[in-house]
Amino acid sequence: MPKPTSDIPILEDRKAQVHTKGAAPFKLACEKHSVAGAVSQRACVFCGSRVVLYPIADALHLIHGPVGCAAYTWDIRGAASSGPQLHRMSFSTDLREKDVIYGGENKCEAALVELIGRYQPKAAFVYATCIVGLIGDDLDAVCRRAGERTGVDVIPVHSEGFAGSKKDGYSAACRAIDALVGTSPEPKPGLGAPPSINILGDFNIAGETWVIRDYYERMGIDVIATITGDGRVDDIRRAHHAQLNVVQCSGSMKGLARLMKEKYDIPFTHVSYFGLEDMSRALYEVADHFNDPDMKARTAALVRDEIGAVMPELRKYRDALAGKRAAVYTGGAFKAFSLVRSLRTLGVKTVIAGSQTGSPQDYQKLEALCDEGAVLLDDTNPLELAKFIDQTGADLLIGGVKERPIAYKLGVAFCDHNHERKECLAGYAGMVNFAREVHHSVCSPVWRLTPRGCRTAAPDASPPVRPLRRAAVRRPAPRPALRTTPLTIGAKEVAV
Amino acid sequence: MRKVAIYGKGGIGKSTTTQNTVAALAEMGKKVMVVGCDPKADSTRLLLHGLAQKSVLDTIREEGEDVELEDIRRDGFGECLCVESGGPEPGVGCAGRGIITSINLLEQLGAYEESEGLDYAFYDVLGDVVCGGFAMPIRQGKAQEIYIVASGEMMAMYAANNICKGVRKFADAGGVRLGGIICNSRKVDNEKEMIAEFARRLGTQMIHFVPRDNDVQRAEIRKMTVIDWNSECPQADEYRTLARNIDANDLFVVPKPMEIEELETLLLDFGILEGAPA
Repeated sequence: MPKPTSDIPILEDRKAQVHTKGAAPFKLACEKHSVAGAVSQRACVFCGSRVVLYPIADALHLIHGPVGCAAYTWDIRGAASSGPQLHRMSFSTDLREKDVIYGGENKCEAALVELIGRYQPKAAFVYATCIVGLIGDDLDAVCRRAGERTGVDVIPVHSEGFAGSKKDGYSAACRAIDALVGTSPEPKPGLGAPPSINILGDFNIAGETWVIRDYYERMGIDVIATITGDGRVDDIRRAHHAQLNVVQCSGSMKGLARLMKEKYDIPFTHVSYFGLEDMSRALYEVADHFNDPDMKARTAALVRDEIGAVMPELRKYRDALAGKRAAVYTGGAFKAFSLVRSLRTLGVKTVIAGSQTGSPQDYQKLEALCDEGAVLLDDTNPLELAKFIDQTGADLLIGGVKERPIAYKLGVAFCDHNHERKECLAGYAGMVNFAREVHHSVCSPVWRLTPRGCRTAAPDASPPVRPLRRAAVRRPAPRPALRTTPLTIGAKEVAV
Repeated sequence: MRKVAIYGKGGIGKSTTTQNTVAALAEMGKKVMVVGCDPKADSTRLLLHGLAQKSVLDTIREEGEDVELEDIRRDGFGECLCVESGGPEPGVGCAGRGIITSINLLEQLGAYEESEGLDYAFYDVLGDVVCGGFAMPIRQGKAQEIYIVASGEMMAMYAANNICKGVRKFADAGGVRLGGIICNSRKVDNEKEMIAEFARRLGTQMIHFVPRDNDVQRAEIRKMTVIDWNSECPQADEYRTLARNIDANDLFVVPKPMEIEELETLLLDFGILEGAPA
């Protein structure tokens, strides 16, 4: 008889990064290098840079390294573009053994000249990978030469994979963007210019930036640059004309906001667009910043209309989901805050919450937000997640592509909230999509066929069916008993 | 077949010593292959009467992986076989990886097979064991014996001591052993005694003291080893002695590298004792 998943021990070196609310005074270690052998869910420096810069749609993205680095991050976000699609191409210098020995500079320069000639991008980003750091290719010099030959700005991104963590990749990306900001030939608008912002840290996954941009425009705000969702090089060049940087996401774009504060004295504010509460707070905060009574009135009307439009459907999901338990594991902690609140809106209790890159302040906030008994995790790994999902009896895991198999293997519902997703989850409409996705996964009858579903079936429910695994060997899967909760596809209820 | 690697500080005379020794071994009737592990590809110049050879890496670069042994191996003095690993120009790429690639290729091509009838394979390695690539010749299954070329100059001894650290590391993992120190004299005071003591402290021996003689340069100018240029000259006999000593050597040890303080004391003891008139 195999041991239950909840018996999985936690590695000694990981213990300080796990905390159960209420069990002891709050203390959670974080911002540490991952423990070797723990199979951290974190990505490398290069991946961090790549996900941030990827949505700049009219730029050329060349990955200087072995082809695997490019393949691994190919089309890594569901970031949509309203125009050019060049960002979706993943170009690689395909460094091989001979290039390692003789150096990859010439190949990189040749690739840049060829690609720029063929695609005429507005700018080019060249990403350094591990091997480039080891063989010491002078990427700055290559970019400068290629820029001189083609007349296009070629920007090196110093994202050698081994040189830190994903967070360092964010900084490298911010420095690369900073190289473009302020290079616009357009004059800075005068004092009478309308209120303007840059949207930072939204990546236009399934058109989310468009949703957010629309809200701001309805408030009467001019959106200068969206960095980097549906991003354009020329917009970034004049991003320093904005009066406020509105930064979503705790890690990725904070660096750029700080740089722009230093260089151009542009203030910034942190927001989140996930969930009714955080979305509304974001709009109100921006309206407060500009302190214009008309704008404030427009904002209040907008929030009222949008919430009114989505509430009936949300109530339906809330009724079905009330009392369920969720585990949340995100890249940055900011998203975790929003998810805990969004889940609460749906009557779902968060029993596990964690992030890859949270700071001490983030976790303090997260702990305060969570209910008693919730498990907090920093830089966790598949085994720990499995253990605590089993231990807390979570019905749902919210995470990214790396967490999905953990949920499915355990027989737990899953909602993809990471950058690979293709569903718009931001804004008011996004909240409905989120609720729908959570509802459909959690209330799916499929979980009752899993070993866990059988074990945890409520006593008043119909007799548990046999696990699918055994059934598959011996006889056709038994037909699941009639469900009590109606299953809906879209708005339509379907009979099982 | 005995596989021998020669290490030592840059400019100490590794290539010159190796080629002159190989010439002497060839004269003794031994079948020898020399593998130059230096991007400059100048380890076989004297045996080949010039830099006529195409390196392994250049060949791979120009002709692809489909390489024959004949494409990269040339016959040199006394029917010795000469191979140059080659590598990138200064300041780019990774020369260490180049050495790994070329030695792997030589093995794949069967350069070390019994059918080649080799008595010796010599690896002439650029300078110090600076990274994993330059340690390739002494990894498991490669060279089993190391000779370090040194002189009584301080930096040469530092480098030799440092190389011993590398040898010790690989001695634990593989089977490589130190066969001795070749003293290539720079006419330093008390040089012979100092290097003999230095070798003893490292747990090894000074396998031969090669005196400084301008005949070596005279031969080099003509792109020849000393034996090739003038087999009667006294320096030719020095290399014959070195070759015989190596051929008869049976002292193979895991070296005991010295602490820097100990090394400096040794230099003081021997260097100042009878040096400048105090």
